[in-house]
Amino acid sequence: MTTEIINGLTTFITTQIIKRPDKELALDTPLISGGLIDSFSLVDLALFIEDTFGVQVDDTELNAETFDTLSELVNLIKSRQS
Amino acid sequence: MTLTHLLVFSATALLAGVLVKERGRGWMLLVGSLLAIYWMQPASPIRNLDFWLPSATVAVAVIGWAATRSGEDERSRENLISGIVIALVVIAVGLTRYLEPLCCLTPTRPPQATQIIIAIIFTGVLIALIAWFFPKRGILLNLLFFSIIAIFLVLKTEGLAQAASAWLRTQTRQSTNLASGLDIGWLGFSYVAFRLLHTLRDRLTGRLPDVSLQEFVIYVIFFPAFTAGPIDRLQRFIKDLRKSFNLGSPEMVSGARRILVGVFKKFVLADSLALVALNQTNASQTSSTFWMWVLLYAYTFRIYFDFSGYTDIAIGIGQLLGFQLPENFTQPYLKTNLTAFWNSWHITLAKWFRAYFFNPLTRFLRSRQNKLPLPIIILISQISTMVLLGLWHGVTWNFVIWGAWHGFGLFIHNRWAEFAASRNSAPQSPGIQKLYNWSGIFLTFNFVALGWVWFFLPTPSLAWRTLQTLAGI
Repeated sequence: MTTEIINGLTTFITTQIIKRPDKELALDTPLISGGLIDSFSLVDLALFIEDTFGVQVDDTELNAETFDTLSELVNLIKSRQS
Repeated sequence: MTLTHLLVFSATALLAGVLVKERGRGWMLLVGSLLAIYWMQPASPIRNLDFWLPSATVAVAVIGWAATRSGEDERSRENLISGIVIALVVIAVGLTRYLEPLCCLTPTRPPQATQIIIAIIFTGVLIALIAWFFPKRGILLNLLFFSIIAIFLVLKTEGLAQAASAWLRTQTRQSTNLASGLDIGWLGFSYVAFRLLHTLRDRLTGRLPDVSLQEFVIYVIFFPAFTAGPIDRLQRFIKDLRKSFNLGSPEMVSGARRILVGVFKKFVLADSLALVALNQTNASQTSSTFWMWVLLYAYTFRIYFDFSGYTDIAIGIGQLLGFQLPENFTQPYLKTNLTAFWNSWHITLAKWFRAYFFNPLTRFLRSRQNKLPLPIIILISQISTMVLLGLWHGVTWNFVIWGAWHGFGLFIHNRWAEFAASRNSAPQSPGIQKLYNWSGIFLTFNFVALGWVWFFLPTPSLAWRTLQTLAGI
């Protein structure tokens, strides 16, 4: 389950947001504070998470304090799925 | 905040840190913040207004708590005591009117005690009615949300503020001929409004934790951050408020260091730069392109040192009191692009607008059945957010243009970043990358500096003339 979420998120971020499908994302790569995902793409990411994993991410949560890395995002999704 | 305020606040924070423990900390912060907001309020030519404005801040904070509290009250006794303490502090401030040696905490004599007591009873009844008898919580929260925005609009629109001043002057039987938009200088309201709008909205979406009256009022009027932020979130703030805190030497050293850095930035650097910084008079008198750039750069650094110095002081005093307030500035003038600049300039304000305006608007536009082209959505979201952020400073054309200036700049950067990413180019040599970064810093800095012309000068015509001089036209 976790692998599926990681793969889904990685594919979406590399192909749709940063537009570099060959880029490898480590679990602890800072996505927001590192400047890989801007505020506009964050909304797209939230919509993708809601559609794909059925998990609501509020507008006030789209920031580096709530999640900044792939692993934090996976934990957030899993905690809301259970 | 003056140097006197700063000295008293720092000394109080130090004393409180040493003397006040555990439960006493909350009461100290509540009473201290209440007294501070009366003390910091500037004088108003309208009779007694400098007493009623901080009192209205307290009333609005208590109403905000009453509207956002959940149904289950486990701490109703504590909340009642907090309510009584708040009322007693307000009365005590008013009573300084009768104590010649102590008169007055407010800049002018407070109104008569009977007026204050009547106002407290009226507010108490109003709060009880809305807290326990208002039929639909959602309607109440929305009503308060839009009421705060309406008050904000009146205060920030010159014509409306002048009309409000004239109305207040008729109530105090003063001449309405002298009514001015500057009469109602409601200290801290902008920041109080942001905190309240955040709590009202988060209650609507079920994301607000339950807090006591004491905690809520401290959050809204926390004195180090009262006049100019940072804008904390309640969820984060109460973690610091509820933790056990003992002032030790690490907090003392880091708090004192931060305050000193802030004092140096605000009272030495910013105040010195103010002597040569761009202002209405020198902008209209200077015809030399070179000197106009000197004035503009002086203003550009002045606004940064002034505001970030203030934030340093607020964060430093916060540390002495056991709070780690969020950062507001992280070297904004050294950023390589405008997006990075807005992630490091007045960070808590930009975050607020992102969370409560930009994200919902973008989400709405992206989720629509008839989707607009992506660049159009980005353009609409960026410009409307930045114009709104501009209007928060005041409802004038100059602030609209300043907001649009940055909105458009952000849009251009977004498109450029998209284009650069799609080229998928090979990594550049360190030398080229360095050159690229320095060019980015130079461009961003000057774009922001030119934007300040719109921000600071009062009319579009003067700003335009200044820009022409800067361009050598």
